[in-house]
Amino acid sequence: MSLVNFTTREITCKIVYYGPGRSGKTTNLQYVYQRVPEERRGRMVSLATHTDRTLFFDFLPIELGTISGFTTRFQLYTVPGQVYYNATRKLVLQGADGVVFVGDSQARQLDENITSLQNLQHNLLEQGIDVRTVPLVLQYNKQDLPRDLILTVDELDDQLNFRSVPSVPAAAVSGTGVFETLKAISESVLRKLSEEPPQ
Amino acid sequence: MKSTRAIEPWVLEPLERFVVEAGARLTLVMTPSGQVIAQHGFARAVDVMAAAALGAGIIASTSELARMLEQAPFSALNQKGESHGIFLSGFDSVRGQMLVLVVYGAESSVGLVQLFFEELVEELRAAAPPPPEHRAVLAADFERDLNESLATLFR
Repeated sequence: MSLVNFTTREITCKIVYYGPGRSGKTTNLQYVYQRVPEERRGRMVSLATHTDRTLFFDFLPIELGTISGFTTRFQLYTVPGQVYYNATRKLVLQGADGVVFVGDSQARQLDENITSLQNLQHNLLEQGIDVRTVPLVLQYNKQDLPRDLILTVDELDDQLNFRSVPSVPAAAVSGTGVFETLKAISESVLRKLSEEPPQ
Repeated sequence: MKSTRAIEPWVLEPLERFVVEAGARLTLVMTPSGQVIAQHGFARAVDVMAAAALGAGIIASTSELARMLEQAPFSALNQKGESHGIFLSGFDSVRGQMLVLVVYGAESSVGLVQLFFEELVEELRAAAPPPPEHRAVLAADFERDLNESLATLFR
């Protein structure tokens, strides 16, 4: 849940990058870390195996700037993608204000994307959160691969985007779409903070 | 130099007293998702936000292990190194579950930290006000500020 300090006018939100193994979640955070000025980011922490696969999470705090008079900070997390690590994935998902689902655009990875999205839905439900209400952005990564290996954005939307949430084509390794994804999830998460609760 | 920061002001007085009495270098009070509610001590000793994220991760994973063993969550976790030790624990309050990470040095001990930690928990429970009502925080036209801020973030 977003932490709001009305005295010092600060907001802190938790964003979780979710998705199947090797879809590019850590690459997104690494690119953000490299591009954001040092004074606007903290230390990037990666709990990874010796082969650089995420074991628990990656963590990167960034300062978005002043929004409506509030200094706004986002804490970006990734989860381990492999099916095996579901227990740790659930822990990282706790308290998330928004989720970026990083899908792998390769046609042969479609089943992994669907399984991971179902797993997200299941893990959110365990926490009493309906996947239809949580701020969500889909990123279709690896769109820079040869055309015959990947699905188009429309094809991926048909298969994965049942909520018609913002979807962003990306090639995170070169930074394409990384910023647009962060912008889209920022808007979705902050919009919730601009709305009056239902009476 | 010791620094203090509190998102929830009612945490501050008990926290400052605890740091003095327990001889802690740094103490963080945080949410289960690793967001810092208050901090007091030598903040430069560690990167506070990273330490909070890691501490919350440790508590989340040991609590899950306890659940698998069909027992109540472990009450505390202590690790003692050559120059520093860390003490991690959580407690329930009217504001939900809160976690505490204590970093202590050679001038203190786990016994001292544990002794005063119980007092800290009692004082925080007594001081905690009920959760505030949800209300709109940002202006409806926040997008303009957001776009300007993001433009300077990714130059």
